[in-house]
Amino acid sequence: MTTTTQLKRRAILAFVQNRPGVLNKISMLIRRKMYNVETITVCITQQPGISRMTLTLYEDSDDKMAQVVRQIEKVTEVISAKELDIDQSFWREVAIVKFEADSARMEQLSSSYRVEMLDHHNHEVFIVQLAGTSKMVDDFLQDLGNDKIIEVARSGFTALEK
Amino acid sequence: MKGKELALKALLDQGVKYIFGYTGGAIMPIFDEMEKQKVFKFIMSRHEQGAVFMAQGISRASISTSNPRVGVCMATSGPGAMNLVTGIADALMDSVPVLAITGQVPSGVIATDAFQESDVVGVMMPLTKQTYMPLSVNEIEEAIHEAMYVASTGRGGPVVVDIPKDIQNEDTDDDYQFDPHSYEPDLPGFYYSPEPDRDLLRKAVGIINRSERPIILCGHGVINSNAGPNLAIFAEKTHIPIAFTLHGLSALPVDHPLSLGMVGMHGTVEANRGLLNSDLIISFGMRFDDRVTGNLATFGVDAQVIHVEIDPSEIDKNVKTSVAINADVNQALAMLAKDPEIVTKPRRQWFENLDNYRAEIADEINREIESGVGKEGQLLMKTIVKKLSDVTGGKDLIVSDVGQHQMILARFYNFQTTNSWFNSGGAGTMGCALPMAVGVKLARPDERVWSISGDGGFQMNIQELGAVMEHETDIKIILLNNGYLGMVRQWQTMFYDGRFAGTPMKNPDFGAIAGAYKIPYQCVSEPGQIAGAIEAAAEHKGACMVEFLCDPSEIVLPMVPAGGGIADMIVSMK
Repeated sequence: MTTTTQLKRRAILAFVQNRPGVLNKISMLIRRKMYNVETITVCITQQPGISRMTLTLYEDSDDKMAQVVRQIEKVTEVISAKELDIDQSFWREVAIVKFEADSARMEQLSSSYRVEMLDHHNHEVFIVQLAGTSKMVDDFLQDLGNDKIIEVARSGFTALEK
Repeated sequence: MKGKELALKALLDQGVKYIFGYTGGAIMPIFDEMEKQKVFKFIMSRHEQGAVFMAQGISRASISTSNPRVGVCMATSGPGAMNLVTGIADALMDSVPVLAITGQVPSGVIATDAFQESDVVGVMMPLTKQTYMPLSVNEIEEAIHEAMYVASTGRGGPVVVDIPKDIQNEDTDDDYQFDPHSYEPDLPGFYYSPEPDRDLLRKAVGIINRSERPIILCGHGVINSNAGPNLAIFAEKTHIPIAFTLHGLSALPVDHPLSLGMVGMHGTVEANRGLLNSDLIISFGMRFDDRVTGNLATFGVDAQVIHVEIDPSEIDKNVKTSVAINADVNQALAMLAKDPEIVTKPRRQWFENLDNYRAEIADEINREIESGVGKEGQLLMKTIVKKLSDVTGGKDLIVSDVGQHQMILARFYNFQTTNSWFNSGGAGTMGCALPMAVGVKLARPDERVWSISGDGGFQMNIQELGAVMEHETDIKIILLNNGYLGMVRQWQTMFYDGRFAGTPMKNPDFGAIAGAYKIPYQCVSEPGQIAGAIEAAAEHKGACMVEFLCDPSEIVLPMVPAGGGIADMIVSMK
């Protein structure tokens, strides 16, 4: 087992039967087993009755990671669970950001980032949407500066293997 | 049909015979229907916890028979259901299939904090394999059949079906259909792989053949999959010694020539030193509980590990394996036992070492057993257990409570009968013995059943003497009374400078209590009377109770101190 100050971010993809209590069970498992979970997203799939769940967590140990996957698989409603290969999958998230800026600053941000304008008040307060890598969202927020940000909503990760 | 009829029909279709429980507002419709139909034998516990342990007794005792059954208990909503929680958590820890049916407040008032409303599904979810709350009468039968399937497939465990009162009274749609015989659960992800992987078995055989100092750890799974006979063949063929986990005891006669007895915190010297010095640990149907391994950092550092286990989430959880075989233990053992490449080795040095370990404290223990009394001049539990073992020939069914007496039974009862040892292991629930013994007796009526408790645990479910009296359940109750919570007292003696915080107890007149329940009783305080009292109890027809006045200073040794490694085992107080 390697220990670094910055733990490795990893992702688990699970397909689950869409029954009451599944999300509850997974989140209880996370608390009970004290996993270091960062995000959970759940969405429907093309197949009725089956949902797709993406978890990201910080964990360096491969053994512990295998254990997390096995514990999730043990939940009766979970059809399959596996760790996503980071290098072989796309990770994306959506962020909605409300912030203060003047028109010139807004123009500058629009040219550097792929943002979609959702709302603005007197060209002083803007609400924009970003979709992309979490690094892109992080960079945008850093660029903006904490003192200008009013509110941020981030979706958490969803991911797809190549 | 109404929901209440469907619930009972589903239980009947599942072959349920006994129902243990306690009625109340929200479960009244089902109880009323049960009274009308009179197809089940109903045993009223005096507390819901009693009911779930009785149901556990049915499951635990019947799993090795030709007719394994899932014990069923029932309770009302709110406090009724909450009183089941401890027994349900206990069943999960010990992999015991149990079905609990609870009444819930009517669906229209759920989530309004109605009278006797508790979030049963929410509370039970982390303590069960699965929970159900049918919100339509059409879902009841399927929920119960699926619950029974989940409880008893793969590694056993408890399930709960929480049925709102209005749903119990609701009529099915006209086109309602459910065929229990053709029913198959719709659980595409319910993982169960009984077949061992042949390549992994090959690899295991290679490692076994190369090992010089191997040891087998026999767990609860060996009993649950009826793998005792194949384990014996495999161990004899390979000439490998067997240590038993607490729940692995009685998988084989414990005096089998290859047996080292119990392993772990209060295991035998030979089992623990054997484990410590082995170069290969072959574990069947067990989960490397901390009471077995001690400190994991020092566990099996020089040993390879082969782990055969039905629950994939137990593999590599606590102990890293060299070969992990996710399979039914009996199927894996059957294949290992007849593997053409398996070799027999004499392992003379290894068995000589084990004999030396065995001899380490044997004389000291034998002297204690023979003297029969402890430092304070009262009876020693190990002497009583030895006599019980002699009188019964080790053939009777032993239901134990939790504590020193449990460890002493595990160490000194000479288990001869397959699956004859029942107690709370993982959860360590005091008070389990008396109600569990009721279930065990009903499941195996032709065998003699002993319910053995300390004075602490006995008083935790003492009310179930009422059920024993009412149903004239033929169990022999042994009360080992030392006036203390003995195991905690032992820790206080060894690790807390002898301060007995919260362990001494002023006890009632147990003879008067037995008398109040019309249960014949005798009290034994002299070593010379022990065997006679046990013989009399064994021969008595019907329930009876023997109280032994025990020495509070008795210490169960060896002991691996909590947090320590097996090498830290304390073998003597001298």
